[in-house]
Amino acid sequence: MSGATAVVSGALEVEALGLEHFYAGRRGLAAVSFALRTPGAVAVTGPNGSGKSTLLRLLAGLLRPTAGRSVVRLAGRTVEPAERRTIIGFVSPELAFYDELSCRENLVFAAEARGARGAEALARAALEPVGLDTRAHDRVTALSSGMKQRLRLAFALLHRPPLLLLDEPGSHLDEEGKALVERVVREQARAGLVVIATNEEREWRLAAERIELRGRGLGHPA
Amino acid sequence: MPPSGSNSVAAVWAILRKECRSEWRTRYGLNAALLFAVATLTAVSFAAGKLPDRTDLLAALLWVVLLFAALASLAHAFVREVEGHTLTFLRLVASPAAIAFGKLLFNLLFLGVLELVTVPLFLILMGAPAPRWGPFLLVLGLGSLALAATTTLVGAVVSQARGRGALFAAVSLPLLMVVLAAGVSGLRAQWEGNPVTAEVRILSAYAATMLGASLLLYDHLWED
Amino acid sequence: MALRLLLFLWIAAALLGGFLWAPLVPELGETTRILYFHIPSAWLMAVAFGWSFLHSVLYLVRRRIEHDDQAGAAAELGILFCVGAAVSGALWARAKWGTYWNWDPRETTIFFLFLIYGAYLALRGAIEGEEKRARLAAVYSVMAFVTVPFLTFVVPRLYATLHPSPILPQQGERGSIDPRIVVCFTAMLAGFTALFFWVTSLRVKLVRLERRRAQSESSAA
Repeated sequence: MSGATAVVSGALEVEALGLEHFYAGRRGLAAVSFALRTPGAVAVTGPNGSGKSTLLRLLAGLLRPTAGRSVVRLAGRTVEPAERRTIIGFVSPELAFYDELSCRENLVFAAEARGARGAEALARAALEPVGLDTRAHDRVTALSSGMKQRLRLAFALLHRPPLLLLDEPGSHLDEEGKALVERVVREQARAGLVVIATNEEREWRLAAERIELRGRGLGHPA
Repeated sequence: MPPSGSNSVAAVWAILRKECRSEWRTRYGLNAALLFAVATLTAVSFAAGKLPDRTDLLAALLWVVLLFAALASLAHAFVREVEGHTLTFLRLVASPAAIAFGKLLFNLLFLGVLELVTVPLFLILMGAPAPRWGPFLLVLGLGSLALAATTTLVGAVVSQARGRGALFAAVSLPLLMVVLAAGVSGLRAQWEGNPVTAEVRILSAYAATMLGASLLLYDHLWED
Repeated sequence: MALRLLLFLWIAAALLGGFLWAPLVPELGETTRILYFHIPSAWLMAVAFGWSFLHSVLYLVRRRIEHDDQAGAAAELGILFCVGAAVSGALWARAKWGTYWNWDPRETTIFFLFLIYGAYLALRGAIEGEEKRARLAAVYSVMAFVTVPFLTFVVPRLYATLHPSPILPQQGERGSIDPRIVVCFTAMLAGFTALFFWVTSLRVKLVRLERRRAQSESSAA
């Protein structure tokens, strides 16, 4: 898949140290600890509400832990939670794009906001592998849920991040789409790191390691 | 890609352009705000008639109309993100500071467009005497800056709460009393031929304070 | 228990002293008495809001929910005494100058503080999720606090130029004040301060009990 190989200048390490999250007095994620490094793919599994999505959001720096912390190091340099967005690609069911803008415009916006040059070319390069190049100028509101999921994948790969955090990446996708996800994961796992949160066997079989979450969470976090 | 200063500027600029484009495509925000401003203005004009020698009332009424229009519309920059669930997307491409400043600039632009329509209409309908344009625009401009700085921050907070519409107005208004007082005093002073230095100083200080507070607080706005 | 009793007796004694023992201030006449309640109320309001702001900042820095408990409790108490100060002030104004409300600098400040902290409490009520509420309320608290200098010093002066009032209230006592008045007044001030910290601690205790109950309910579920 051209243009989508991860650019990893140095080893990436991801550690969780007693990472925990509470919301409204209930435990969304029970304390979890692990250490990962490139290259490879890791699956996070567990019953509904065990905190898979929460864990990914914590690693992405989108959520602040109630206890414990996560540490991400790239080529020996620590990446603070506030900066993690620069090195991650994030796919999640509640990730939504601007309905009134087209696929291309959403990705161009993302690239420009990140300070990348040649945003148009980057957007085009990202849309083509996921099969959205023909729909590039369609508004997001006109896309099916499967198409939106492909757009999420394109967005995650847009800046060729060393770390991919995929929350249920195969949802809404047809057979061709799921094959696409497999290709993405395999490509990324060669030089970068992928963390997949899923309960689909087909998806977690892609990973060499598996983190299993137990304990009661609280269902889909807001 | 390590974050840097130029990234932030690029992000702010990209967000501003995106806001303008989104607003242009949907337009419901600007339309509603303009309608609201004109409706309020009509009500005031109908109720009070022409007030050519009441510079005190003119100053007060202009600010009240602008304030109402602002309170009715400036929250929607953030509410739209929350309702469209696009906040995660935004947070993944830009820092909290860039998001906040991008939105601030947009709100300022929005307010500018609103005033471009409302102020001349007000001056005409209310039979106001010709303003001394220099001081008039200075007071209006600084007041708008202070207004935008305050309401952007409040909007970011309130968009994450329930009961957003009324809550936004209720929460913003006490903070805006300073702008109202200085703005009214300033407009009145320029109509009466007095200097506006004191009001300009107050409005600048207040706007700077709000912007400064924003710099400290933006990082705490979005954490889930 | 004993301390509570002591506090009660202290305030009662100060109040009684103010009514029976201390003399009247010549310019104020019988309205002197209100000094012992009105100004301590305003003082308590200031302490409360300062305490609330302090803990808001501490929460943002340290992220410990105990700070938010204090901030919220203090704000509630602050608003109560804000109303107390405003009402007693209005009664005093009526007795002294004939009108309840004049928008003089102090009245203006109190009114705006009431609006701000009312908004703060309304905001708290509208946010779900403890950590979210604590964080956002703290953000607003800081915003509100930076406007206070403007509201206290700038706005009242502006208002005075906008609406010059025919009656210019002089709220300072001229000449030397009888030491008995000072004694009762200071005693009231101290008593109110102790009252603030005591009642705030009660409210905080209540909040923590409620939280513990909610947690045990959800873990039992």
